[in-house]
Amino acid sequence: MGADPDEELVRRIGAGDPAAMQAMVARKLPRILALAARMLGDPAEAEDVAQETFVRIWRHASGWRQGHARFDTWIHRVALNLCYDRLRRRREWVTDELPELADDAPLPDAMPGDEERRVNQALQRLAPRQREAIVLVYYQELSNIEAAGAMQVSVDALESLLARGRRALQAMLIGDDGDD
Amino acid sequence: MDAGRFAALADAYGSALHRWPPAEQAAATLFAETEQGRAILARAGRLDVMLDRHRVETPSPALHRAIVARATTKVRQERRRRFWWLGFGLAGVGLAGAVAGLALVTVVSPDIQSDHYVMDTNATSFGDAGPDADQAEEDL
Repeated sequence: MGADPDEELVRRIGAGDPAAMQAMVARKLPRILALAARMLGDPAEAEDVAQETFVRIWRHASGWRQGHARFDTWIHRVALNLCYDRLRRRREWVTDELPELADDAPLPDAMPGDEERRVNQALQRLAPRQREAIVLVYYQELSNIEAAGAMQVSVDALESLLARGRRALQAMLIGDDGDD
Repeated sequence: MDAGRFAALADAYGSALHRWPPAEQAAATLFAETEQGRAILARAGRLDVMLDRHRVETPSPALHRAIVARATTKVRQERRRRFWWLGFGLAGVGLAGAVAGLALVTVVSPDIQSDHYVMDTNATSFGDAGPDADQAEEDL
């Protein structure tokens, strides 16, 4: 793993440099907000998660040291944990386990200009771990190793989640399961 | 790379090779030139076109400002906390010094009590001057 591109900025934040904080928000807020919006499907909740993620960054910056994961991977993990907290609260899970199976019944055909809402619905109907894998790799463009690290699974498990998620999306959005 | 592995990667990562595992991109690029490779990518690409329609709003300036404001508050609180801890630390050092000094004085300075004979309240420097002393002399 090469040098972490965020390391210097994190060090300056740890020293209390206001300009570094501004720079960190400009650099990471769009990514964190996009991650939370796609995981939660709710812009207001996504903003709350983004704010809370930055609170964690300010709190831990002075003690952060590059270990196995890059800073970007670490903040993805923080944001994902906050998203899961909200998903559990929202659905009032009886257990801590989130469902592994997606509801992949085809969605109604979209009116012109309505495809975005339809894709959002399809993403929200995925099992959360499949949605997480697709959001990290497809939308956030994390490498397979970074995404697996953020999800704390092996690369093989990540690929399995990705493939199952994409098959479910294919069934919901295109009407086949991709096995043709 | 064979067709099975190429299809498995397309199923997982989609049609854009830059999302595929870096270690397999070179071999995948070669396979993508084949007819089979093109067909697999075309099928994966149908879903990618749909997924690309999902866009999220860019952060509002208000959200950006709110996050920076919380950071500023956090830094102020942190500095205040450090200041107080510094004060407590200095006070602690002063107190520890005083205690150490006291302990040193107690250990080093002589024990005044041990060098003095403590006279009984009835005793004088000439002997016991208690009420029975005279009687004792008369009895002699």
